[in-house]
Amino acid sequence: MSDPYKVLGVSPNASDDDVKKAYRELARKYHPDNYHDNPLSDLAQDKMKEINEAYDTILKQRSGGGTGYSPGAGYSGGGSASGPYAQIRMAINNGDLATAERLLASQSNRNAEWHFLTGSLYYRRGWLDQARQHFQQAVNMDPNNREYQMAAAQMNSGGFAYRGGFGQGQGRGLSCCDCCTALMCINCLCGG
Amino acid sequence: MKSELKVREFDQFRAAYCGLCHALRKEYGLAARFILNYDFTFLALLLSAGEQEVSRCRKRCVASLHRKKCVVLGGEPFRRAAGYSVILTRWKLRDAVADDGFVRGLIARFGGLFLRRAYGRAVRDFPDFDAHCRDHLDALAALERDNSGDLDQTADTFANILAFAAKAAASEEDRRILAQLLYHTGRWIYLIDAYDDLESDRRSGRYNPILARFSMGAEEMGEADKSWLHTTLIHSTSLAASAYNLLPDGQWGGVLENIIYLGLPTVTEHVLEGKWRRRDRKRLARKETATV
Repeated sequence: MSDPYKVLGVSPNASDDDVKKAYRELARKYHPDNYHDNPLSDLAQDKMKEINEAYDTILKQRSGGGTGYSPGAGYSGGGSASGPYAQIRMAINNGDLATAERLLASQSNRNAEWHFLTGSLYYRRGWLDQARQHFQQAVNMDPNNREYQMAAAQMNSGGFAYRGGFGQGQGRGLSCCDCCTALMCINCLCGG
Repeated sequence: MKSELKVREFDQFRAAYCGLCHALRKEYGLAARFILNYDFTFLALLLSAGEQEVSRCRKRCVASLHRKKCVVLGGEPFRRAAGYSVILTRWKLRDAVADDGFVRGLIARFGGLFLRRAYGRAVRDFPDFDAHCRDHLDALAALERDNSGDLDQTADTFANILAFAAKAAASEEDRRILAQLLYHTGRWIYLIDAYDDLESDRRSGRYNPILARFSMGAEEMGEADKSWLHTTLIHSTSLAASAYNLLPDGQWGGVLENIIYLGLPTVTEHVLEGKWRRRDRKRLARKETATV
């Protein structure tokens, strides 16, 4: 395993508080909530695991070997799965979008779950406009479903579960002065 | 300390800009230098996002010969960015010849001739990107002819042109990350550009994906539709950021973070509020004085 201090980006002499702070910042950044249904979620999970292990190791080293502590664990993708949609759900989770699309197209009963899964499929592809419409339709048809509500809420917020790094004065310390530089940098991006 | 870092980041961006300029000159000749802009510099930065080592040297600048400037020797990623930039410009010019009126079309045609040699060399270096570009732009033209209201599909066709550049990544993991980063950056560029052109397209009757998606006639875009569009734009920037977070820390960390975390969302706000272009700012100022 690589150097746990390097993983958390702190020096081996850092105080317990600093280690904790660095850990929390990274854990927030790579939290599964930020990568829900994201095509890169597996990579984020690996990263999260690496961070958890590094923090664990440091805690153990410093306390002279203690209990394992792994916050952020226990995330499992997907909700309940039943009926003809179980297979579609699995296909989407495995990233087999072509199969999911084919199966969705063959369904005649276009209920709330159909719209939810179609939304998930579009989301995976980055087709955010369609995804949002389908998630919203799922909520309209079944307003009490938590899973649909969360998906729709995520779309309504523009996908911002994680806002660390800017806007809250944390992270790598970007200030409002950066906006100018950033603007200068991408001025002309849409200058046509 | 903090402000020094910012200056350093700005210098880094400028060094990358100069680096791309030199790469264009070296690989594709004098004419290619004239296509240099910030967009392509951003592309070069994205393509070398994970690079651990960047070498620099001081070189004379063609725009101010008396001064030597710090220039990045970007290696393969910059060479690739230079080639892609030439190819993208060539196809953009072809579209301009087809779309625009006589005078602008003439200018575009002249530009195309001017770039002919550079383009020939770029195609030789990156034939697959050229074919990819042509196929996708043709597909986009077909969607435009059908007046497609499917925002995602048209943006997807454009975004995939950029996402192609991820092919050159060192590992499969990096390729997936970079593809997602480029895809959502491309999606954002396409849509923000479409919004920026909304009024002129409406006046001239040209196709515009946002006009088609929200079935707009002569009336202004409604607040609800605008907010919907805003959300989808911001969502792409946040997906680009979440992809970027997964890349190994590279030399360009500060500059790229700056553009992705702050630049893209800020430009989104400005364009949607109509404050982006100089003429927009002038128009707003006129409106204000008129009401006073």
